[in-house]
Amino acid sequence: MDIFETHRLIGRRGFLKKGMQTGALVVSYPIWKHFGDQEAVRERKMLSTMDPVESAGLDKDILRKLLEACLSRGGDFAEAYYERTVLNRLSLDEEKITTAMRGLEMGVGFRVIQGEKTGYAFSDDLDFARLKEAAEPAALIASGTVKQKPAAFTPLSPPSYYLVKVSPDTIASKEKAALLIKANAVARAHDKRITQVGVHFSDYNKKILIANSEGLYVEDSQTLSRFGVNCAALEGMQRSMGYESKAGSYGFEHYNLALAEDYARQAAEMAIRLLPAEDAPAGEFPIVIAPGHGGIFFHEAIGHSLEGDGIRKKTSAFWDKLGQPIASPVVTLADDGTYKGSWGAVNVDDEGCVGKNTILIDKGICAAFIQDKLNAGLMKMKQTGNGRRQSYQFYPIPRMTNTYLHAGESKPEDIVKSVDKGLFIGKIGGGNVSPTTGRFVFSVTEGYMIEGGKVTKPLKGIMLMGSGQEVLKNISMAGDDLLIIGGGGCGKDGQSKPVGFGNPTLKVDKITIGGKKA
Amino acid sequence: MELKKTGEDIIKSALRYGADEAEAVIENAKEFSVNVRKGEVETLQKSVSKGLGLRVYLNKALGFSYTSDLSPESLDETVKRTVDLAKITESKPWQGLPDFGPQPLTDLDLYDAEIAAVPDEKKIAMAREVERIAMAQDKRITNSEGGSFNNSEREAGLFNSRGISYVLKETSCGFNTYVIAGEGDNMQGGGWSSNKRFFKELAPVEDVARRAAQRAVEMLGAKPVETKKVPVIFDRYATSGFWMGILFALDGDEVFRKTTFMTEMLDKPIASPLITVYDDPTRPRFVGSVPFDGEGNVTRRVTLIDKGVLKTFYYDSQTARKAGVKVHTMARSYGYKGGASAGFLCVTVENGKDDPAALFKDVKEGLLVTGMRGSGTDSTTGSFSVGCSGFWIVDGAKAFPVDGVTLGGTTLEILNGIDKVANDLDMRGSLNSPSFRVAEITVGGKKA
Repeated sequence: MDIFETHRLIGRRGFLKKGMQTGALVVSYPIWKHFGDQEAVRERKMLSTMDPVESAGLDKDILRKLLEACLSRGGDFAEAYYERTVLNRLSLDEEKITTAMRGLEMGVGFRVIQGEKTGYAFSDDLDFARLKEAAEPAALIASGTVKQKPAAFTPLSPPSYYLVKVSPDTIASKEKAALLIKANAVARAHDKRITQVGVHFSDYNKKILIANSEGLYVEDSQTLSRFGVNCAALEGMQRSMGYESKAGSYGFEHYNLALAEDYARQAAEMAIRLLPAEDAPAGEFPIVIAPGHGGIFFHEAIGHSLEGDGIRKKTSAFWDKLGQPIASPVVTLADDGTYKGSWGAVNVDDEGCVGKNTILIDKGICAAFIQDKLNAGLMKMKQTGNGRRQSYQFYPIPRMTNTYLHAGESKPEDIVKSVDKGLFIGKIGGGNVSPTTGRFVFSVTEGYMIEGGKVTKPLKGIMLMGSGQEVLKNISMAGDDLLIIGGGGCGKDGQSKPVGFGNPTLKVDKITIGGKKA
Repeated sequence: MELKKTGEDIIKSALRYGADEAEAVIENAKEFSVNVRKGEVETLQKSVSKGLGLRVYLNKALGFSYTSDLSPESLDETVKRTVDLAKITESKPWQGLPDFGPQPLTDLDLYDAEIAAVPDEKKIAMAREVERIAMAQDKRITNSEGGSFNNSEREAGLFNSRGISYVLKETSCGFNTYVIAGEGDNMQGGGWSSNKRFFKELAPVEDVARRAAQRAVEMLGAKPVETKKVPVIFDRYATSGFWMGILFALDGDEVFRKTTFMTEMLDKPIASPLITVYDDPTRPRFVGSVPFDGEGNVTRRVTLIDKGVLKTFYYDSQTARKAGVKVHTMARSYGYKGGASAGFLCVTVENGKDDPAALFKDVKEGLLVTGMRGSGTDSTTGSFSVGCSGFWIVDGAKAFPVDGVTLGGTTLEILNGIDKVANDLDMRGSLNSPSFRVAEITVGGKKA
């Protein structure tokens, strides 16, 4: 359950490891339906191999036959999930465009449910005979004879929460490269102490089709894009890192040279600010969390404990807390797959449930859980559009989309002023939580002392530690400045998925800081 | 599909399309996994998958693609596109294939021909059994995440235009369970597993079950302690994250860029003289072994830290060429989608001389770490900070379980502060270490 950790294991060079979290993007849009100009028509032709469902020969008749094969042993429910994903990545390192990458993954996953049991199988061979063969082991989760036929398909047209006019997959690499070159030049010119700059642009273009034995038939075309700048600074023996990125279900129209310049400057500025960082203190302190990046904290420390699988199995500390106070009244926490243009937006989740905005904690009261089809069904609750999977090679499980804390009424500056001695948390690099105990740790990549109500010197080696239950109760102030961001991936049960998160400026009255100074 | 022929054909095709150099990775995998929870099969998965990763160089500029579609038309399209990608990127003089060509490979005996004959029922029974026995160990065990069994059979090919054409067939299998003790606000989970190349070598189900149960139950009632500096013992099974953080900081390219705190440390003492660390992926039948690395270099034993002195950084062929160093290169493979880059293969910290009990002796008050959340090491600054759980030690014995504390300091201080190393090494995976003790670390907890 460690957000970003998966990227580290993907293991690009160390320098790229930090902040530049690659990989694990995914999702968004009927590309070929929304182009008008000639350029686009040309691109569309080029992309004709991208229009896969028909060319893959997966028409409704074939899907029905495959679902029949899935139900041949008496399963209650069967589903076929088709995916075709194209990933493009361009990166600049040591002043040069060094990597141009293109990846393609396609295949079909079959899921059969009987009671609480799930059978799963997949094939990356789209030949009908191979697909039928692949469906067999999934069917074997049941052990009887056919109980039902798949229902007739009713196509579903979900609303769109993606902001994609121009698919980044259609953009010439030269245009993307210009952003990287600009950012590199600006970051290096910012300060002589900036010694390394890395920049990347990635886009993930995923087309999915979900058909199930209850008659659901839905297609979605999902695009995610990400532009990120990383800087390293060096002065004597002092080292520091800075990074900034823009990420979401955005078309290429959301990126331009001015933005590249702005993000490069911010990344460089962060590295320079942190150069003189001193060792962090250890012990219990009040903290103020900056808007945006602190959301990862709520994702990990609370979100995972509200996922339907842990709730149903009673392995989460919150399993019996519905309707009960679990947080300070300042806390209203949402999981929102409908937040437009966000990194975690879903028109439909990976089992065809339309995206939803679910209030998980309402003014401190536990109001809902994060549900997929299986767990919601077994618990007799509603699906919340959170059945998500990394790819056709995985069955869906309850996963967050965009998890954020609603804004409060305090002014951010008043929140800082209210702390006599504590820490200001700017950016959080990553962390993990045990859903059983709710205990978490987060490593802070940008943090400062607060002394006498003012943010003062930068700190290094800050680790936040505690339990989700405690922190929820210790949040005493929320600012009026909610910020929702994306760009990271969350890992759970070996599946990585893009998730967004956010928060307003927050005050937590006390939290354990692991640092060097006793 | 004949892997060798496909791979060699792709290389020829890449050269035909104009590449100067090319390298292909092809994988074919067959997997089985089952999870059983509270005695019932919860999920059962069977799959066959494949994929190609292709790197080409054109005037020392790189193009990279991967695809899961290995049909002839798709392969041809992928090769063509990849060569085009190399026209977009800029050249760097050190880029390109490694200088070495084909070398004789040692058969490390990594393929279990018998595992295919193990019936699914037997595997399901093991998953069921390990959970059942774990739950029956102690009345305080109240819940379970289940028991599971998985195995895979993999064929991985590495081909390049310098004549390398290697195919590795390997198997792996394992089973595990994770159970939960306690109720309400006092729940603790504990798990254990056994993972091997050969089915027959798996640990007895009872052993895995017993350990999982013990790990959950013994943590019941864990609480933070007050912030203070004390001796800290790292249990052998809690150390892999710790060493991984240190290995990341030894990346030769980060050294070249001066972005790691280890930059100036070659041939200098970085740890207590009690510490010797080597990378050796050549043990026959071992789960962490591999005959060739991600670039096709034949693997061998390399000493990383010798009695506390740092002997080498990690380089792949390109970063070595860039830094101008002559070393045995080690590239970790990240599968057909991830390429390969410098990294550890199978690391072992050498056994010490002390009996594990000797580490506790004369500890008046201290911490035994049995779980670490993260690696602790910040490879840029060298500061060390990590969350952990374990036991408080009073007068040389475990007194009560601890959770929610942090360790803080610098990585070099901690490595140099190691004053005892136990002789309890247990080879389980690609990072193995005996238990060791550090004379003093700041344990962060409640207000001091």
